[in-house]
Amino acid sequence: MTTQRTQDDLGRPLPPSEFRAATEAIVANIERVIEGKTATIRLALAVMLAEGHLLIEDVPGVGKTKLAKSLARSIDCSVRRIQFTPDLLPSDVTGVSVYNQEVRDFEFKPGAVFANIVVGDEINRASPKTQSALLECMEERQVTVDGVTYPLQTPFMVVATQNPIEMEGTYPLPEAQRDRFTARIAMGYPDAKSELAMLDGHGAEDPVLDLLPVSDAGTVRRLIATVREVHAADAVRQYAVNLVTATRESPDLRLGASPRATLQLLRTGRAVAALDGRDYVLPDDLQSLAVPVLAHRIIPTAESQLSRRTTDAIVADIVRRLPVPTDRHRSPYDTRGQYDPGRR
Amino acid sequence: MTQRRHVTLVAAAATLLAALPLTSVFATWTWFVDALIVVITTTGVALVVRNLRVASWIPTAAMALALLFVLTWVFHSGHELLGLIPTPKTFAHFNELLVSAGTDMRDQGVPVADRQGLLFLSTLGIGAVAIVIDLFTMVLRRPALAGLPMLAIYSVPVAVREDSVNVLPFAAGAAGFLWLMATDNVHRVRRFGRRFTGDGRDVSAWEPSPLAAAGRRLALVGVVIAVTVPMAVPGSNAGLLDRFGPTDGSGIGNGLGRGGNGASVDLYAVLSGELNNNRTFDMVKVQTNDPNPYYLRFGVADEVTPAGFRNRRPGGGLAATANLPGPTAQQGPGVALRPYHAQVQIVALNMNTLPVYLQPTRTSSLDSSWFYDRNDQLIYSRQSSSRDKKYGFDYVRAEYSPEALREAGALNADDPIQRQYTAVPRIPEVERRLAQIISGKFTPYDKVRAIHSYFSANNGFRYSLETKSGTSGSAIVDFLNNKQGFCEQYSAAMAWLVRAAGIPARVAFGFSRGNSQSGDTWTLTNRNLHAWTEVYFERFGWVPFDATPATFVGGVDSAWAPDPNRPADVPGATAPRDDLPIPGGPDQAAAAGPTSDPRQDRFGPDGNGATVTPPASPVPIPTTLGVLAALALLLVPALWRALLRRRRRPDRIADPRVTGASAPATRSAGGADLVVADDAAAGLARRRAHAAWDELIDTMVDYRLPLDLASTPRATSEHLVKTAALDEWAATGARLLGQAEERARYARQPLRSDDLTGSLRAVRDAIRQRVSWRTRLRAAFLPASVLSRWRAAAGEATTRLTVAVSERRDSLVRVLHPRRLLPGGRR
Repeated sequence: MTTQRTQDDLGRPLPPSEFRAATEAIVANIERVIEGKTATIRLALAVMLAEGHLLIEDVPGVGKTKLAKSLARSIDCSVRRIQFTPDLLPSDVTGVSVYNQEVRDFEFKPGAVFANIVVGDEINRASPKTQSALLECMEERQVTVDGVTYPLQTPFMVVATQNPIEMEGTYPLPEAQRDRFTARIAMGYPDAKSELAMLDGHGAEDPVLDLLPVSDAGTVRRLIATVREVHAADAVRQYAVNLVTATRESPDLRLGASPRATLQLLRTGRAVAALDGRDYVLPDDLQSLAVPVLAHRIIPTAESQLSRRTTDAIVADIVRRLPVPTDRHRSPYDTRGQYDPGRR
Repeated sequence: MTQRRHVTLVAAAATLLAALPLTSVFATWTWFVDALIVVITTTGVALVVRNLRVASWIPTAAMALALLFVLTWVFHSGHELLGLIPTPKTFAHFNELLVSAGTDMRDQGVPVADRQGLLFLSTLGIGAVAIVIDLFTMVLRRPALAGLPMLAIYSVPVAVREDSVNVLPFAAGAAGFLWLMATDNVHRVRRFGRRFTGDGRDVSAWEPSPLAAAGRRLALVGVVIAVTVPMAVPGSNAGLLDRFGPTDGSGIGNGLGRGGNGASVDLYAVLSGELNNNRTFDMVKVQTNDPNPYYLRFGVADEVTPAGFRNRRPGGGLAATANLPGPTAQQGPGVALRPYHAQVQIVALNMNTLPVYLQPTRTSSLDSSWFYDRNDQLIYSRQSSSRDKKYGFDYVRAEYSPEALREAGALNADDPIQRQYTAVPRIPEVERRLAQIISGKFTPYDKVRAIHSYFSANNGFRYSLETKSGTSGSAIVDFLNNKQGFCEQYSAAMAWLVRAAGIPARVAFGFSRGNSQSGDTWTLTNRNLHAWTEVYFERFGWVPFDATPATFVGGVDSAWAPDPNRPADVPGATAPRDDLPIPGGPDQAAAAGPTSDPRQDRFGPDGNGATVTPPASPVPIPTTLGVLAALALLLVPALWRALLRRRRRPDRIADPRVTGASAPATRSAGGADLVVADDAAAGLARRRAHAAWDELIDTMVDYRLPLDLASTPRATSEHLVKTAALDEWAATGARLLGQAEERARYARQPLRSDDLTGSLRAVRDAIRQRVSWRTRLRAAFLPASVLSRWRAAAGEATTRLTVAVSERRDSLVRVLHPRRLLPGGRR
């Protein structure tokens, strides 16, 4: 993501206590709908605060759409939902210019993307043509129709869901599109207790409908501003670069992660650190994010595919083997230092 | 099968190449002809038998059988069936040959002539080696092991020759070995199938693989190092007193070039060998009418080279059957000349000289193959041997009075004798000592006497068949320092010093007086072998001096050279015969009678009261020091670790900016100062955290706790808590350390905690309680963190060196590449 040029200013960063209160309110709100998935929820929120887009990929019925919807509803901002179908057209997504008889001119009717949060359900069911309509807005946060460019608001987040099991009648996301998603998360099945609690809560009616917003677009903008202030030491930046470089050099991979991935990795790392109450990023943050942020962008070699190694496993392997850099080169206490996990 | 046949042939060739070093042992090439026959036969038999595709052990057995037949054919005793089939008499003959080889090895100096025993031994050895090499190469398929028997051959000349062995035979042997290895490897590779290049071209079997170049280079470097490194090591065989070889045999070239009887005895080898022989046997019986015979001599060493005293081959060509020139000295005051006759029977002596007394005048019972060397006063032969000889000779025994000798002046500088017999390498240490010994002496005789007396027990010289090796690099200096040796050292050292004083001298070899049981018959055993010094005086000729303590060798005292170990000397006596020491007198009886075994009374008091005490066992200070040093060396890693731990204690790490100078205090108050001070404090906290963390990691390494290089401090400390099962208190400490390090590394502001030292100690104590005592011990004395760090440092240094060397080499190659010299520039 290149330098963010947005219409409206982000506002001042929040002090830590307010940041904590605001984010915990959002997380708690979503947890009322989706039980026992705190980590996933926090990750989704982190992606939002990192100004990224989220791809939720899992089998049907584990609450993908619910997570997307509850995240959207927890924030008092414009939310649009697109149900991706095979006959969906790009103009349905971006908007279309129609002729206005009164003013005798073409008038732009904004599409579904003109909102703070866009929920794209079953995104792989639309044709690549329609999917491509999202390319510009996700990366550049603007829509160009008929030669006129319309900027989008901040925050702007695309939360898409897709089903990896059902392949009939679906169009796999093109690589360019996948790369635009900051993170891909899987919901996973709830544990027994959570599922039991779910039966109670969801028995009568959809709890999403009862969900009230606990935040608003302005607050989220200030949250984003706070995240941008989080300190990333040189060693951490170096570590992000090393991680992404390692995917490019891995013999198991045909395609490594892009420089955009590096940026988004560090950005999401900032958000996670902030959510954790820190004002500095740790390599631990990047380690925990490596699989969600990197795994969906890379393409394994035919050999890895044949040996059934998933990209998740390959990335996790890289993380396990890559030494963590430090900002120290040679401290005076350790002139012959070599047996040091941090020193490279 | 063709391939394997090829390897067999290479193995045979390698055997012959490996046998080449024997050229420096033998004077002729006869041994090589025998070796050729035996190797060709055994290899041929192996090839034929292998073609029959029999069990793998059969060719080896066939080779052994072939070796037996070849030996029977070449070294036949005349009792074989068809000249080939060995009979019991053949084996008895072989046994005789081996026995004679044993004697020859003891008696003969290198290079030896074609002696049947030695030829038999070498042929047998080479045949056996050929079989063993074939076994290793063809049956066991481990050609690298073939290097061992090859080395066994090579060790023979190394052990026999006391000077260094020529490089070329060694290089030839090494080349043979490498050839064998390379051939075997090519066949090994070929077993995988045909080789192709990347573009599909078929590769010839003999085209080297890309790795072969590296192998060749390694081999070349190995051989070059093996040849050059010993040259660089300072040799201790410079100026050796106890070594000397025949003049005509210092290298294989000489030994091979001369025909005839090139054999000559390495007299020093005979001497030390026989004196150390446990068995005492009679060598010579001599009957003389001289009541007080001096030493019987059979050799002279008069050449000093940097390698020590050596004997020339006798020459001069005076027929021994004719009348021999008489003594140099004339009868007169102080000189008594008395003619005597001696009859010699050789019991066990095999040389090309005959033992005679000084100044023989006429011989009997000798054929015309014997000649007389006027200079050396030796009877020698080019063809005959002294073995079992019986002969008689007349001789003149001269006795001199000290006064008469004292009148002898120095020889002219251009006198041939003066020139020939005073040449000696100049060694400053020897010169210095000599100057002390002869200070205040003016006549040659006085100087010689001073030198002679110098080698007495009073000066600390001790007789011992065991010599101590020294460190000076020069054997004479070693002897003068160690003062321990036997007649070899005494005689050569005295000759050396006398020569250094400018007086002609040489070393004579022979027998001391020996045992007399029946009046005039003296029995000389191997224990009577002896070496002494002869000094040339103008008008008197060669006068013997024996610096070796007479008690130990059955020495003969003389008026002109009394035993310096005798307290009561009788100088000044003129030389009428009555004043001469009485033969068979009490002191002589003690020396010459029952003391034929020098070992027996080595520790006993001699007849003259001059006791020679056995060497007091030295206080083993070097051993103690060595053990202490080793212990200290063992403690070094532990000390190093303790030092490191001390330096890393967080509370000992001070801020240099704060402690160095009170700069912030002197500066004007203001916000800027606060920031500076704050930065300093942050830096200090960072360094403390880093130091504590480094110490924690090293502790984990020392106690063999698993460590993951890809772990962050947080993960590492969590992992430590889990694996070491730390208690609550220690776990908190470990987490604190991890947090401190993490914030020091990654956060804007480091964690400021004063508790790092305590946490560190808590964690360390907790870990110590968890691990076994063995791990604790190892962590204390052989801390893995320190050792691995040293290892890594060494590895790094090696890498740097390698890189530097290869860079130099590359630049050299660029400069010196022959392509640059080709016309057309650098194509």
